Amino acid sequence: MSCHESSKLVPDYFDEALSLQQRKAMEAHLQDCADCQEALAEAKSINGQLRQWRDEPVPQWQRVPKQLQGSGGSARPRFSFWGQWAPLAGAFVMAVAVLFNVQIQVQDNGFSIAFGGAAGIDAGVIAAQLEEFENEQRAAQQQTLQVLSAQLEERQAGNNARLLETVIEQFGDSTTRSLEQVMAYFESQRQQDLQLLQTSYQRLADSDVQTIRSMQQLANYVQYQGN
Amino acid sequence: MSFTDQDEALISAALDGSARAWERLVKRYETRVYNFSLRLTGNQTDALDLMQEVFLGVYRNLHRFRGDAQFSTWLFRIAHNKAVDMSRRKYMVTSLSSVAGQEQSDDDVLDHIANDNGAHDPQRVLSTTQSNAEIIGCLDILNWEQRLVVELKVFQSHTFDEIAEMQDISANTAKTRFYTALKLLKAHMEQSHELS
Ligand SMILES: [Zn+2]
Repeated sequence: MSCHESSKLVPDYFDEALSLQQRKAMEAHLQDCADCQEALAEAKSINGQLRQWRDEPVPQWQRVPKQLQGSGGSARPRFSFWGQWAPLAGAFVMAVAVLFNVQIQVQDNGFSIAFGGAAGIDAGVIAAQLEEFENEQRAAQQQTLQVLSAQLEERQAGNNARLLETVIEQFGDSTTRSLEQVMAYFESQRQQDLQLLQTSYQRLADSDVQTIRSMQQLANYVQYQGN
Repeated sequence: MSFTDQDEALISAALDGSARAWERLVKRYETRVYNFSLRLTGNQTDALDLMQEVFLGVYRNLHRFRGDAQFSTWLFRIAHNKAVDMSRRKYMVTSLSSVAGQEQSDDDVLDHIANDNGAHDPQRVLSTTQSNAEIIGCLDILNWEQRLVVELKVFQSHTFDEIAEMQDISANTAKTRFYTALKLLKAHMEQSHELS
């Protein structure tokens, strides 16, 4: 291997940017030069051996950088709690809604509650009563309802956040923990919510003795669910 | 949706704060980045460190990605820079065996091989496939710059012009390094065969 062209010819061979003209010149030299032929054959062989590399699997590692998780808000500029967990949150809240068959809709002009499938309760009757109540009271209670709606909304948001924090604690790093623990937490939250609903309704009822009867029925229902 | 479009959708979701999108984006490239890191550092611990730094760098600069280049190209620019940073920090200090920053003459090559050590440290040898361990063993005899050129040329398929630009050297220097590296590898492989 003594041809001084080899040191240029070999890397040129691996250079895709080589012009057609240069490549022709290279091939012409190779035809006549045994040294360069040998040098090139060796280089190709080494290149081939290196390319025997088979990708190693990636070991377990923390894909979302440490400083982007954890509890400190300031240390994670982009990946907020909600950004990270919103999809899971959505799925979980949906599952809970299905499980408990309870829907609370906050609307511009008040709120409506739909109960479905609860044992011993005629959901249709309750819904009808609520609708009747709303129709009767809409004008008179507009203001009170708006305040109550806002309170409920706020309360719900706070609860969802806390619920999710628990979900994250349970499922964040391990899948071995039981769903039951999360459900137990949710159940305690639900009890609190029902209590709040109960007192809210009570307050609303107290403010208007004329509807005390229908309100009492709603409160009873809430009580029943809370037991 | 093309692979590139998917990248861009994931990037934009990640920028909007979706950690899941970020994770999916990482998963698309981590094998390439990890194996790149493994070949350059020669051991799993450093490879993981390097990979983590690469993705952290990608994350921090994600808002600067403009989409005029392929995301993979952009990502591997960062990977290259992080690898260089890492080599400056530790690789060359503890280094393998050769003198960094110098092209070697044929005499140096022989000395170098005679003094070959470190390549057979059990910590450095990988478990999964014999051929990968052998390849790491070979690459270990190269100095950092030669190793990087081999990585960029053989495994990342860059042109010498691209390598030159990334390394801030001339294309001819890149070619010389590549040629020297191949000669070193050939001598090492021959020696290994004689020994075995
Ligand atoms: Zn020749």
